[in-house]
Amino acid sequence: MTHTGFRDTVAEPMPSLREGPMPRAPKQLGEVVLRVRGLKKNFGDAVVLDGIDFEMRAGEVVGVIGPGGVGKSVFVKICCGLMEPDEGHVEVLGTDLLASDQKTKQRLRERVGLVFQNYALFDFMTVGENVAFPMVQRGLAKADEIQVKVQERLAEVDLPNVRHLMPNELSGGMKKRVGLARANINDPELIFFDDPTAGLDPVTSSKIFNLIRRTQAHRNSTCLVISHDIDRMRPACDRYILLLNGLVHFRGTEADAMHSQDPIVKEFFRKGDGSKKPSDER
Amino acid sequence: MNPLATIGAGFLDASETLGGIVMVLVRILRAMVPPRFDRDETWLNLYKVGVKSYPIVIMTAFFTGAIMVIQSGVYVKQTGATGLLGWGAGYAVLAEIGPVLIGLMFSGRVGANNTAELGTMKVTEQIDALRTLAIDPTHYLVVPRFVSMMLMLVLLTVLGDLFALVGGAITSEFVLEVDYRVFFQGVFNSNLLDEFFTGLIKAITFGASISVISCHYGLSVSGGATGVGRAVNASVVSNAIGIFVFDSIITWFANSSLFR
Repeated sequence: MTHTGFRDTVAEPMPSLREGPMPRAPKQLGEVVLRVRGLKKNFGDAVVLDGIDFEMRAGEVVGVIGPGGVGKSVFVKICCGLMEPDEGHVEVLGTDLLASDQKTKQRLRERVGLVFQNYALFDFMTVGENVAFPMVQRGLAKADEIQVKVQERLAEVDLPNVRHLMPNELSGGMKKRVGLARANINDPELIFFDDPTAGLDPVTSSKIFNLIRRTQAHRNSTCLVISHDIDRMRPACDRYILLLNGLVHFRGTEADAMHSQDPIVKEFFRKGDGSKKPSDER
Repeated sequence: MNPLATIGAGFLDASETLGGIVMVLVRILRAMVPPRFDRDETWLNLYKVGVKSYPIVIMTAFFTGAIMVIQSGVYVKQTGATGLLGWGAGYAVLAEIGPVLIGLMFSGRVGANNTAELGTMKVTEQIDALRTLAIDPTHYLVVPRFVSMMLMLVLLTVLGDLFALVGGAITSEFVLEVDYRVFFQGVFNSNLLDEFFTGLIKAITFGASISVISCHYGLSVSGGATGVGRAVNASVVSNAIGIFVFDSIITWFANSSLFR
């Protein structure tokens, strides 16, 4: 299909993203894209992060789980440079985030995406303008190229016909998908998802996790996904870390967790953060 | 609570606010050298801040001019000094009442709206979203507002001055039965150019202070909808204080023997 402009363009759905079984990205033991050492963060007397050590390699999808208020969102915000830690070292895509000046951080952010828990769509822009916004601001592409890419990204998240709507006209699940399309517009190498299924029904939650996996596999990006919904995030994640009392309590694959003798780990992976009782499995 | 502790806490709060306001100003000035700000957002703000404000400014200024003439009417009638009517109204409007009243109206309409808008963006993580998309909120949101408010308050003050004098002239004609030509003669013969320019300097300063203060309160909101409400309230109060403080300073300088 030839794209001639925004208004008369209908992007073809991308078969690899929309149909067939979810492709799994090949395991890559490539370079480290995120390295965190001794990360500490307190809010007043409350210790939230108490020395987190963590590494992520290119192409991985890592799930971050833990009880509410354990500091998962704080962890992600520090990794994105939105919050300063009290102590520790954060290296994102080979750049020391905390030692970087503002310009370096800006350049780094062009290679990193974040999907917010509460959507964070710009409510004064249409959906199309929201998704186009990062490209428009960078000014590296022509207007018609931007619109074609916007249409492609919206089609990838199964929302090809909403670009003229305002965010307040969308459902929660649609807003999450628009957030994903916006985060993907610059083809980031590393994407953080801050509880992408918070407040969504189980069916929509499953769709969102499938979408995360498909998008990751299609672009070979690296994803860090925070969620409480461990049952539905299973198909999306290669491995997990469990945060507890400000530390990484467990790290490993689902199989590692199932074979763990640690009762807390077993409890989390069997019951999904306590939201599902063992009796429900019958 | 210990009174000393209360005073100390108040002092620390005020220092923190003042420090935050200065930091916003420093970030704006840094972003403006060389000028790097969003053109579309600036145009949009010029429209929102300026075009949307002119009806209320015209109305306020018109009635202010009228009220001033009515107030002075008693003495003008008693003394028959109709020639002083234009001078009195012109002097007060151009140097003081025009910029201050329009500044206060502007801070209530535009400053409060600005704080609410930025505050809502802050609590809904839209400001964080800008940063993660590698867009500096100062360049994209704050500088266009700063430029628009300064420029538009000057233009609105000129417009307000004009309509205040028109209001005064109409009132003098129909209420005091003093010919409007006598009124305008009083204005123009009094050589009020200094007062006019003093008023413009005040308008530029008020525009800058309203934009910096309202942006500071908007960007430092925390605590959801309640926090936005508190920030708007604090922004309106601080803007009014800022207007009177800067008005006093500029009036003092303008009337100081050093500048005469």
